[in-house]
Amino acid sequence: MEPLGSKDALIRRIHAALHGHDERAAEPGAGPPGPPGPSAPSAPPASVEKRVAHFSEALRSAAGTVMSGDLYAFLPALGEALRTLGVTALLVPEGDPVARELADALMPLGPFRLASTSELLHGNSPVTAGIQSAEFAIAESGTVVQTGRGGRTLLPGLVTEVHVALVRPDILVDRMEDVLSVLAADPPRTISFITGPSRTGDIEQTLTLGAHGPKTLIAVITQSP
Amino acid sequence: MEPKCHNFSRNVEQALANRNLQAAISRTTGRFLEHRNAAVRSFPGDFEAAREAASRLKLATLRDLDIHLSRFIEEAERRGATVHIARDAAEARDIATRIAKDEGIALAVKSKSMATEEIGLNEALEGAGIEVVESDLGEYIIQLAGEPPSHLIAPAVHKTREEVARLFSEKLGETYTEEIPELVAIARRRLREKFLSAGMGISGANFLVAETGSVAIVSNEANARMATTLPRVHMVVASIEKVIPLMSDLPPMLRLLTRSATGQPISSYVSVLTGVRRPGDAEGPSKLHILLVDNGRSAILRGKYREMLKCIRCGACLNICPVYQTIGGHAYGWVYPGPMGSVLSPLLLGLREASALPDASTLCGACADVCPVKIPLPDLLLELRADARAQGHRTPGEVLGMKGFAAIMGRAGILEALERIGGVVCRLLFKDGKIPWLPFILSGWTDRRDFPAPAVRPFRKLWKSKRGVLPWNR
Repeated sequence: MEPLGSKDALIRRIHAALHGHDERAAEPGAGPPGPPGPSAPSAPPASVEKRVAHFSEALRSAAGTVMSGDLYAFLPALGEALRTLGVTALLVPEGDPVARELADALMPLGPFRLASTSELLHGNSPVTAGIQSAEFAIAESGTVVQTGRGGRTLLPGLVTEVHVALVRPDILVDRMEDVLSVLAADPPRTISFITGPSRTGDIEQTLTLGAHGPKTLIAVITQSP
Repeated sequence: MEPKCHNFSRNVEQALANRNLQAAISRTTGRFLEHRNAAVRSFPGDFEAAREAASRLKLATLRDLDIHLSRFIEEAERRGATVHIARDAAEARDIATRIAKDEGIALAVKSKSMATEEIGLNEALEGAGIEVVESDLGEYIIQLAGEPPSHLIAPAVHKTREEVARLFSEKLGETYTEEIPELVAIARRRLREKFLSAGMGISGANFLVAETGSVAIVSNEANARMATTLPRVHMVVASIEKVIPLMSDLPPMLRLLTRSATGQPISSYVSVLTGVRRPGDAEGPSKLHILLVDNGRSAILRGKYREMLKCIRCGACLNICPVYQTIGGHAYGWVYPGPMGSVLSPLLLGLREASALPDASTLCGACADVCPVKIPLPDLLLELRADARAQGHRTPGEVLGMKGFAAIMGRAGILEALERIGGVVCRLLFKDGKIPWLPFILSGWTDRRDFPAPAVRPFRKLWKSKRGVLPWNR
């Protein structure tokens, strides 16, 4: 057991270190007190089309795949892509009707079946594509955001080989700040910012996709309802 | 990890003798720099202004660290975390081991954390009979090899694919392959089993957000997400200077961190984790322990080295440092290499252990130029050199040499005579203008490189002949 009051002791120790010479009053080079908050680049909000374009470009340069347009027009291409990746099972979270609808539409396009979370968590799982509606997407960085709000699972974008993220244009925001400002008042246990597939360069700095998470991230930009 | 900074000279000799290492380091640092520079060029906005703002934010936070840390602790505990404080590394090991034992942990998976390397967590947990598995691929490789990391963000840069292939086949019994995607796939399969069966995930923190008691972690492999999502207990080990005041401070700091580290506009994954799993949550740990490690930092806060605590561990100063580029990370003898390590290690370990590190710099200033939070590394290195000398960390040869140097430099006539004699003698002895060997206390200049022979015509003569005016002849 650490000594009782070790937190107070730490705070007192730091306080003494800081105020031993009343540094807070005369701090060389520290600049004026107050919240200097690094000046983030701020631009006027972009139009939805611009956001979609920025998002797509940024995600592609992070090795992600973007499909957009009429869902039923590119559905065969998506099915083909999943088959090529060896996908045999689809994981769809409960309470995500849009993802379920896409999964149902994909079913006839390959030998796919629905996977359950528990089989993915107990080894020997099939090559699986997790399909899930993103909660936010960030144009600046091509990022998809998933959180644990409202009992949502994050496993479709984590323990699978392929992550299919459904991005409605109206969930696109310009910057990460726009997401955090919504969530900061009562942050859910998990907020995941996901930009491209899992990657590693740890062996001879050779970029390899699919280190621990999905090898492929496909953002499907659906048309606004 | 037992510090070996006091063996710096010997470590350097070993590093310089290892050709593979030299090739690996120059490839890695070169590529990191290239990517970093490209990312800086494409920065959305004014990169210099962003650095300045980040520096100010970190300094202002450090100036009120007691307030921000109190708030972090309060907010984290309000959301179900248990916060522990460790005054030093030994206490941190004890607390972490007790937590793991109390939680009944047999297997823990770790995502990369320099703080855990600093306190020697793995050895402590293993000593208590708890299996600890590193899950970052680079860390996994060096854990199998029984070696310390050699780079802040690319811990296995010194290993070739052949070495990794041998490790995987010898230690894991896998079929030998030198194909990198196959090696990655082996690690993925092996570690997935560990993620799914571990009782505890251990992570560091890139930032601690005081406003919400949140822990922010960046990763590219998704191992940090796995380790903080799947096991039932999550333990965060973080040093106290990781705190930032507000959630809105996070994005600007991340923009600088990932660009400076790998040149990515953002890492593949950023996790912002707040408290424990709540009723109705689909997954996540039901227990969260946050171990805040002081280990000498409150003392650093007190004095002239405070700016070192701004460091966000991006590794940019390593990549650009001509010394790091030549000797690699292991030579520094402890967990923190490169210019940031040459400042931080003596501050955390004491100059008796690490007085050689501040000398391992040409003071070229490149580290300060790339530092995303504008730490004046060369200034701090100089301060440490002065402190080391003031504390008597110098060899008799150095004392004698400096006395001799002062005596000569103070007498223009003697200096001029020596220059002439030296110039002529050296021209006769060393035709190519390089002195390959000097005796006794001077050998330090020629052990690892040739020393340029003095010019036959001293600079002052040359200057005069070009009609320059020396300030003292004005």
